[in-house]
Amino acid sequence: MSDLAIPTPHTEAKRERSAIGSLRLVQTGCILVIALVIVSPLFMLLIASLKDDRFQILADMGSFRAFWVSNPTLSNFAEVSNFSGELAYGRYLMNSLFILACTVGAGLIVNSMAGFVLAWGTLRGRALVLSLVIALYVIPQESIIMPLVIMVSRAGMTDTFAVQIVPWVASPLYIFLFYQFFAQLPKELFEAAEMDGASVFRIYRSIFLPLSLPALATVSILMGIESWNQYLWPILVTQTDYARPIAVAIATFFGQDSIYWDRAMAASVLMMIPILALYLAFQRWFVSSFVGSAVKG
Amino acid sequence: MTLQQPALPATAVATRPARRRDRGRLFQEIGMLAPAVALLTIFLLVPFLLSFWTAMTNQPLVPRPTPVRFIGLTNFLRIFKDDLFWTSLWNVSRFTFWILPVQCGLAFATALLLHQKLPLRNFFRGLFFLPAITSMVVVCVIWGTLFQYPTGPFNQVIGFLSGGDIQPIDWLGDPNWAMFSIVLLSAWQAYGFQMIVYLAGLQGIPDELYDAARIDGANAFQRFWHVTMPGLRPTHVFVLIITTIQAFKLYTQVAILTQGGPRSSTETVVHYMVRAGFEEQKLGYASAVSVILFLIVLVIALVQRQLLRRFDV
Repeated sequence: MSDLAIPTPHTEAKRERSAIGSLRLVQTGCILVIALVIVSPLFMLLIASLKDDRFQILADMGSFRAFWVSNPTLSNFAEVSNFSGELAYGRYLMNSLFILACTVGAGLIVNSMAGFVLAWGTLRGRALVLSLVIALYVIPQESIIMPLVIMVSRAGMTDTFAVQIVPWVASPLYIFLFYQFFAQLPKELFEAAEMDGASVFRIYRSIFLPLSLPALATVSILMGIESWNQYLWPILVTQTDYARPIAVAIATFFGQDSIYWDRAMAASVLMMIPILALYLAFQRWFVSSFVGSAVKG
Repeated sequence: MTLQQPALPATAVATRPARRRDRGRLFQEIGMLAPAVALLTIFLLVPFLLSFWTAMTNQPLVPRPTPVRFIGLTNFLRIFKDDLFWTSLWNVSRFTFWILPVQCGLAFATALLLHQKLPLRNFFRGLFFLPAITSMVVVCVIWGTLFQYPTGPFNQVIGFLSGGDIQPIDWLGDPNWAMFSIVLLSAWQAYGFQMIVYLAGLQGIPDELYDAARIDGANAFQRFWHVTMPGLRPTHVFVLIITTIQAFKLYTQVAILTQGGPRSSTETVVHYMVRAGFEEQKLGYASAVSVILFLIVLVIALVQRQLLRRFDV
């Protein structure tokens, strides 16, 4: 098709450049507005946790004082950071941290080993196992939780740490992520090591695992968030303070007639710190590798 | 939170030339695979299969002296006769209807903005993901104060902007508003995941396509419509489906903030299931609900597979 009215590249480029300039301004403005929407509730949480008076917190919420504290105090934190008795959020926090560390630690090992064998093993039936794993992914946690409660209570596991860790260590999603990551590494890597007489486990442990930092970081963050934020499962299987995670404990603030917002805010800030640290530590690898592996149609 | 719905793997199982298979190697491989297979079997496959069985019994939560009886499809028939179940299904549908445009739209817009070469864009990427790592319980604490009636921040702002003409809204206490309020806080919390998936989709579109379109004289809007949008088709399907599945599993925020109320306007399928199982102690009945939930999720996932196949050729 012939189109004679093509503008000369010169004027076109010029027009586009000045358009880009004003477009940039609009875009930056939009980003800042979104940033405000995203960050201001979190910032308000932090500020409110530093205020002493729970009624003042609510009164301040409607104005700019929500973003300012004139005499910050850590008294709310001191109030809720007990390790026993009432408001034992120190203990709940430690419980959650312990559960997270065990789940993620065991999960990294178990899922990466499985992913490795599925990608590089010689076992017959690997393809079948892989498609079964993918099929299992469709089952939502919510729809197995009823029979699972019966199973663990018959096994006497109610109100333990194990019951909050063991069921969630192996996961189809993470096995698949590891599988995908390992499968795309060059096969020369495997063959060279095998030539040198290294065993399969050795190759996994000393060659492939050290190369999979992005995958390990991604799975750590995803598993960490998942474990940290578990709510439905722990309310069903914990009854006492012993193994109660902080998410469940914070939710109990809502059961009271008059909500102690000051303490709830302080406990919430406490709950954010560890997961934020985990996220900041691994974020660099998380974004790049997750972006790489996210959408596979 | 589950992020990804792997359809069939892009690469087939990595193959290597068949080598000498000694026994030791085979044992090692079995040993490495065994923990995952055992855990998945015990804690995923067995309870999943059990749920179909339990759903057809009158299993109570605490064991009783009377034996558990097989009652066929009675639980399902009772569920289908219960108006509250249909209300909960209707509510999650309403929730889905609102959350899809709000959350995915915001995620898409943000991803488009952050895909440009703007200053500090990596900083903003990290920042916008913060709500996604925030526990839903903490989100409920924050938004619980924002929604306060009648003097919470939202009501103050609305009152200020309207000069007092608009009456304060009882965000969580008014049946007309409660679900919408849940939508707002849910979208705020979870949109970071969708944003990252969209960013991945955008990065997957080769620059050459844009260059070619530019040479052909396409303007910015035409490039968006004829290059970006077709390139993002699988991403759109993926995001919409994942969000829909998440929406049907809505539970935590409702359990904490509204307990399904007011007047059942925020009752959801999972909340209905948990109440049946643990407040009314009818575990068989609750299992039947969980089977229905699974079937819904399965259908949505199958729709996704079909759509992705169609787009991906």
